[in-house]
Amino acid sequence: MATIELRNITKQYRQAGNVINALDDVSLTIDGGEFLSIVGRSGSGKTTLLDICGLLMRPTSGQVFIDGADAASLPERRRAELRGRAIGFVFQEYNLIPTLDVLGNVMLPLRYSGGDRRDGRDRAMGLLQAVGMSDRVGHRPDQLSGGQQQRVAIARSLIQRPALLLADEPTGAVDTQTAAELLDMLRGLSREDGVTVAIVTHDLDLAASTDRTVRLQDGRVVEDSAGVRVAAA
Amino acid sequence: MEIFRNMRRRKMRSSLTILGIVIGVLALTTMGALSEHLNSLVDGGVKYFGSSIQVTTPAGQSTPLLPMSAQKQIAARPGVVAVYPHYSFEAKPGTNGGASFGAPDTIIAADPGELSHGDLRLSVASGTFVASGSHGQVLLGSVIAKDLGAQVGSVVQLPQRPADAKPGFVSHPFTVAGILATTQTAPDNFGYITQPDGQMLLRDSLPPALQGSVDVTTVAQSFTAYTTPGASLAQLDTMAADISSHVPGVSATKPSVTVAQFQSFSATFTEITVGAAILALVIGGLSVINTMVMTVSERVREIGLRKAIGARTGHILREYLREALAIGVIGGIVGWLLGFGLTSLINSASGVSGGLFLVTPRLTAIAIGFAAGLATVAGVLPAIRAARMDPVRALRTTG
Repeated sequence: MATIELRNITKQYRQAGNVINALDDVSLTIDGGEFLSIVGRSGSGKTTLLDICGLLMRPTSGQVFIDGADAASLPERRRAELRGRAIGFVFQEYNLIPTLDVLGNVMLPLRYSGGDRRDGRDRAMGLLQAVGMSDRVGHRPDQLSGGQQQRVAIARSLIQRPALLLADEPTGAVDTQTAAELLDMLRGLSREDGVTVAIVTHDLDLAASTDRTVRLQDGRVVEDSAGVRVAAA
Repeated sequence: MEIFRNMRRRKMRSSLTILGIVIGVLALTTMGALSEHLNSLVDGGVKYFGSSIQVTTPAGQSTPLLPMSAQKQIAARPGVVAVYPHYSFEAKPGTNGGASFGAPDTIIAADPGELSHGDLRLSVASGTFVASGSHGQVLLGSVIAKDLGAQVGSVVQLPQRPADAKPGFVSHPFTVAGILATTQTAPDNFGYITQPDGQMLLRDSLPPALQGSVDVTTVAQSFTAYTTPGASLAQLDTMAADISSHVPGVSATKPSVTVAQFQSFSATFTEITVGAAILALVIGGLSVINTMVMTVSERVREIGLRKAIGARTGHILREYLREALAIGVIGGIVGWLLGFGLTSLINSASGVSGGLFLVTPRLTAIAIGFAAGLATVAGVLPAIRAARMDPVRALRTTG
């Protein structure tokens, strides 16, 4: 389990001489084992929020605490280590490495963390069985359907037993039935394994099926189903 | 394995890049092999002439013969520890000894004891050295033995009778006592006989009118003087000057002059080799840079993904440098193999005694190491670009 606390996070971009607030003084706490969704229109800042939670991006100001430790100010090397060890990512476009087979893709994070390869292989096989891909371990990504690729991506995100799983539109490129299956899988991770799962999505039906929904608008949290959160309109 | 699968993603581009390296290394190997052969000849010459003093007749003397009495006078000079008379003859007269990149096939008459002096040491690969004072025995260098088709125990006629031999041409049978280990320098083309046999050949070489009047045991074509091991060129030069000025009727060449001539001769070839290396650098290096830049550009999302799942800057840097290194090593090995094949082919087809090219372990290491190093260096900038990529931007890249 991982508790994430964002304190007064602001992220600004400069574009054509103008300063754009992608996130504007956002404070948010995600408790360990939560299964939540982050929704909002395009440009509302939800992906930026996910990137900051996942230590892929530094905020312009504010602090990010993971299990009480300030992660925003860590040097890049430590952030990369933390990403590899504690955070799993699932992307809309799967982002599998085309030259690696299914097993190689799932085991890829171990290459950078220095984890035990034999244990990792056993775990990878177990994860592929859990996502229903154990019969495709030798296949290359271009031999799989979109849904199958996303299952592999989920297995990859779990190889390091992350405490936090961040998914950016994980069902955006798959059909409805596959989307439902993937969502069940993510929910199971949260409820049965205690993994904190945060999903960025446009899909309000998907959001409704999570335990908590945070809605962003113009870089601010305007609604949080966990409690009363109302931003000034 | 992932490196090779990545290279196969763009087969044509990878192949062309490797071809660029192959051409460079091929040029480096062939030119280098020519240079290595020359350098080995020069090294042998420098060792021999840089550790001994050659004493000949003074310039302008009509008869190229020295009185044997000079041997004692030279030996009496300060620093001289040994003096040997020398006789040398063409082994294949009338044909310039056959085509040769280095020394022509030559018969050298010298005392076997001389082989223990100087920096150029010879060893026997098979058979034995010629016994001092013996008759009718020859110790052959590895190349001349091959040229003559001789083995230990076989009999060869020396000098070899040319097709257009003049009346009165004389050759003698010599039993091959031994064959020298390859030196890659002049002794490979030499046949060593004893001093008495050398005097016999000298008599044969004199005009008929003189053959009866000259006592060949009282003359030598040249002398070689030695001092204690480890003497510097400057010390040898001083001794040479001393011999020239104190022994009448002889001229001792300063070893530094001879060594400088050898070294200046090899400098041109070294420049050619360096030129080939620079050509390889330009062709191969630019080719690798281009390929790696394209590779990084095509894999931006992959790089972003790898960084997202925990890859640090060093991981990405190493992955791309390894890919560049693989291109260099493959190109280097293929280029070297082609170069080795080409030079071997030319060596055997040219009929040149001892061959033209010499592919040494050093050249092999330089050629493949150069290709690997070049490709790695060329891959540094693209790899740094990949390693420093912002993961968020990389992941958002389309295409």
